[in-house]
Amino acid sequence: MIEGRDPKLMEELIELGGADLVKCYQCGTCIADCPTGFAETPLSAKRLIHLVKLGLREKLLEEETPWMCVTCGGCEERCPREAEPFEIVLAIRRWQCKEDDTYVPLALSEIFARGHTQNVLNPMRKELGLPEIVTVANNREALQKFREMLKETNVYKRYSYIFREE
Amino acid sequence: MKFCLFLGCNMPAIRPDVELSIRLSLQTLGVEVLDIEGASCCPAFGTFPSVDEEATLAINAWNLANAERKGADIIVQCGSCYSSLKLGRYKLMHGKLEEINQKFLSKVGLRYEGKTDVRHLIDVMHNVIGVERIRNSLKFSMKGMKVVVQNPCHVLRPSKKVGFDDPENPVAFRNIVKALGAEVPRYSRERQCCGGAGGFAKHDKTSNLEFLKKKLDAMKDEVDPDCIAVSCITCLMHMDNAQAELRKLGMIDYQIPVFDYCQLLAICQGHEPSKVARIATTPRDVVIGKILKNRI
Repeated sequence: MIEGRDPKLMEELIELGGADLVKCYQCGTCIADCPTGFAETPLSAKRLIHLVKLGLREKLLEEETPWMCVTCGGCEERCPREAEPFEIVLAIRRWQCKEDDTYVPLALSEIFARGHTQNVLNPMRKELGLPEIVTVANNREALQKFREMLKETNVYKRYSYIFREE
Repeated sequence: MKFCLFLGCNMPAIRPDVELSIRLSLQTLGVEVLDIEGASCCPAFGTFPSVDEEATLAINAWNLANAERKGADIIVQCGSCYSSLKLGRYKLMHGKLEEINQKFLSKVGLRYEGKTDVRHLIDVMHNVIGVERIRNSLKFSMKGMKVVVQNPCHVLRPSKKVGFDDPENPVAFRNIVKALGAEVPRYSRERQCCGGAGGFAKHDKTSNLEFLKKKLDAMKDEVDPDCIAVSCITCLMHMDNAQAELRKLGMIDYQIPVFDYCQLLAICQGHEPSKVARIATTPRDVVIGKILKNRI
């Protein structure tokens, strides 16, 4: 093994849903129309895939660009290899979460606590004449079941400390 | 005709007036709107999908199964919700369904059969209800007004999995806006993403604003529209709120009101503007006033 390079990195990414990265031939179509191209440090699926192929774990771990994705699907639509770059970006995020807990988005605990990323019980509903919310946010029994289901997932088992009942 | 309305998080939390406009305009068109008992977050891409794919599919299936119990397809406005549910359903229907049912849904007495599909509001308006029925439901018209459209990225791409329109030259949204009587001129950056979803704005605010400014400038310089029509809660909030920031920073000196499609439709159908289009950062009174002068 060349120092600092880990050939197993690619396998780990494939395991996490990034199987398509083997299709990439580094043409750069994925970044040609990426909205983050305007940023000082743009998200480049091409570059991230190259880091994975080179097995550069540390470099990949410190990349914050995968989290900039606006999920517009441009790269998915245009990739000539049909490699679904967005799915690869998601796989890289998952790998980063696995390597470093601080990457795990706190919104997960919000969803576990009330079923939504935000408080959907807006007091304005009544004034507007909207019907009562019937999602898990306003239904104890359904919320309990929802949490019960989430407790079966690996993400709950692994990061259980971020999930709170209230 | 009936549909299960998927609320998501941002719409009921921050823009409940949009939810009202969707409910009222669909009802006026003769669509029965059902609520999904026990629905949750879709889940959004920045949450479970960024950590664990299996958990993501479990939550997708949870929502799909709860809608399926109502015996109707899902209708959804938010682009991210549409994409998360639609892509999740695609994965479930291409091999993951039994595993997810068994590992997760069966533990809480649920099961997704795969019958309930996910449809975006534009798709239902254009391909199920149709422009003729939309036209016939109107009491007011947008005749004489220029409206530019912002297609939600998530309904166009990846077209093989989520699409119902030509991804390079989408027509459905233009057609249903035209049905309100408005002129829908093209502009060069019509297909550009608004930039509001995901972490772009959080990671690099300045570049994100510059990106949106390009789009707004193209609208202003090439068309000078009365307003922008969107059909995604993120497009609505971002294009509306970011304009105030751009003005504050001296990056633009104009303002273009932003409406969700159903807000324009509901107003044209005679629903109360102060209810269906209550919340906005960029003032919309001039546009509403113009519509109300145009009784059919």
